[in-house]
Amino acid sequence: MLKSNIKLTILFLLAIFSFSKINAQAWDVPADKKAKNSYIKFDENTAKEGEAIYTKNCVSCHGNPGKANNLKTLNPIPPDLGAAKTQALTDGELFYILNTGRGAMPSFKNTLSEEERWKTISYIRSFNKQYVQVVSKTDPTKSKLVKIKLDVDSLTNKIKVAVIANEIKGVVLLKDAEINMFVSRYFGKLQIGKTLRTDSVGCVLFDFPKNLPGDSIGNLEIVINVNDEIYGEIESINKVKIGVPTNKPSLTEKRAIWNVLKLAPWWIIITYTSILLGVGFILLLIIKNLFKIRKLGED
Amino acid sequence: MMDQSKKNKITSDLLKPIGITKTFHIWMGFLTLSLAVCLYAYMFQLDKGLVVTGLRDYVSWGMYISNFVFFVATSLIGMLISAVLGLSGVKWASPLARIAEIIALAFAAVAGLVIVSDMGHPERLLNVFMYGRLQSPIVWDVTVVTVYVLISALLLYIPLIPDFKICHEKLVDIPKPLRNIYKLLSLNWKGTEDQEKLLKKSVWILSILIIPVALAIHTVTSWLFASTSRVGWDSTIFGPYFVTGAFVSGTAAVIIAMFFYRNSYKLQDYITELHFDKMGKLLVLVSLVYLYFNLNEFMVPGYKMKKFDATHLHALFAGRYAIMFWLVQIVGLILPILFLLFGKMRKPLPMTVIAVAVLLGAWFKRYIIVVPTMEHPYLPIQNVPMNFKFYTPTLIETFVSLAPFILVLMIITILSKVVPIIPIQETIEHHEESK
Repeated sequence: MLKSNIKLTILFLLAIFSFSKINAQAWDVPADKKAKNSYIKFDENTAKEGEAIYTKNCVSCHGNPGKANNLKTLNPIPPDLGAAKTQALTDGELFYILNTGRGAMPSFKNTLSEEERWKTISYIRSFNKQYVQVVSKTDPTKSKLVKIKLDVDSLTNKIKVAVIANEIKGVVLLKDAEINMFVSRYFGKLQIGKTLRTDSVGCVLFDFPKNLPGDSIGNLEIVINVNDEIYGEIESINKVKIGVPTNKPSLTEKRAIWNVLKLAPWWIIITYTSILLGVGFILLLIIKNLFKIRKLGED
Repeated sequence: MMDQSKKNKITSDLLKPIGITKTFHIWMGFLTLSLAVCLYAYMFQLDKGLVVTGLRDYVSWGMYISNFVFFVATSLIGMLISAVLGLSGVKWASPLARIAEIIALAFAAVAGLVIVSDMGHPERLLNVFMYGRLQSPIVWDVTVVTVYVLISALLLYIPLIPDFKICHEKLVDIPKPLRNIYKLLSLNWKGTEDQEKLLKKSVWILSILIIPVALAIHTVTSWLFASTSRVGWDSTIFGPYFVTGAFVSGTAAVIIAMFFYRNSYKLQDYITELHFDKMGKLLVLVSLVYLYFNLNEFMVPGYKMKKFDATHLHALFAGRYAIMFWLVQIVGLILPILFLLFGKMRKPLPMTVIAVAVLLGAWFKRYIIVVPTMEHPYLPIQNVPMNFKFYTPTLIETFVSLAPFILVLMIITILSKVVPIIPIQETIEHHEESK
């Protein structure tokens, strides 16, 4: 009895705690993230591209920046991003918020690329006349030097990911880089395991599930996403034969209720046509009778 | 053999309403003017799109589709009176058969137009014929409504053949082209035994054929709703529920028509109090059956109150639609049944008043079937303006919805000015038999 009371109390406190956490207005952004800057120079073009991304992903809750048409029925209220409070945040803070999400706000880390995320911020900044951008010293061309190698152990179903950069001075192993692994699915990317960091030789080991359905020969599309302080964000898409071969015929291959007219079920075609023909035949019979009546009355 | 003077009296009595009178001009003028107003509203909708209506993403079937269901429903009465009662040898119903058939034809013919009013792009109606799928109840509905209109027209026309002959012979004052049309339509009718036999046989075949077709037209209309899994529509009894409901509104419509025909055409000798009495009893019968289906339709899910059903049923029983719902059930169904149990209430005037209440109830019942369900989708309605969540018809929509009624009245008015609404030949035969 007492035990369950304690449990209830803890649950209650937890609930209050988590609720107040959601309600908290300020974001707790780590100092290094706060100082992060965009490697893309914000201009009219980036803002324009950002607007398209914003309209797709953000406008439904935040409204149009500066128009104060944000959705005030949500808790916490998604702020108008043109307002001074948002504009007072650093680019790094905005980037962090965009990456992590909170409460009803989803994380955009895996749905938007880094470039897209910075362009969205560029659009938000275009509403602030006083804003002066500090461009990151990260060289975006450096990401092109990075090579991601996948090593699949089909016995243990482990995938080793090695990340290297081919610098002019020689091969550099990317240490302590953030690695995410995803598998492309119907409606988006499925993350495999957790976000890992590369070891001293630039490698990480992922346990790959054994039961993921692949295509007819078991191929899966594996997306590796690398995030490095120096080299930035790199993504590679690999076709790997590691899934369960699945040969599901398409739902629109056979005759079915939901299919196109040409692939309508036979029973519907037969029933509909025969009823229509039957009724048509009877109506013709009636018309014939009318002609007969007319003929009979002729002098 | 009945004496000639009686025969002549019947003929002249029943032919009297035919022909254009001053009242007809005034009435048609009024209808034309009202139709023009409604058409103006429709032009506005055509120009601006459906945004001028209360229809939005969630409630996309509003007043228009309710109207459509009501029109299809009311048209079913032709089948009940001329086919079911006719085939079962119910003699008293035969003078009413033509009125019922006229109502059926008018409502069924206009029902198709009502659907078009719900389309922002009416020209896309052609897509149903070009790209329609046989699997879709919409294609079945288009087919079956067309067939029903055809059969109803034939069932109206064929029994009229002998009467057209009489019209041609007796109506000597009307313009010659009109008389010639009567002659053409009478198909050289001489009343010979062979002709008689063919005509009776054709009517008999059509009367049988129209029963499944009429059942199909409203069952398929109900399937437009019941073939989805939405709350309030996901019901296995929707077919019979719609069909029995259709008999209620159709019977009420015939009673109202009877009252007006009887008084304005001086047909007291032909549409007698006996007919009203019988029609009253018929209305009680069909209403009781409908009440039974209503009980099933609301009591069974109401007892279980499954999560999503509950939202819907609360809106009907105690929420936004409560007043409409209970008015429809009590004033439009239960009270008429109770009142009509008394012989005094089955007299022409009180019964017509009751029939008007029933018909209004029937219209609002269709609204209750169509609209609240659309306000209660399974997925929550989020991030939309307030007027997306709840549907309120606009004035323009109301005018556009009135247009089909005006059209029906016009068709009925014109038809009853060119054909005898009580079968002359049949009435004479009836009198001879009863002698």
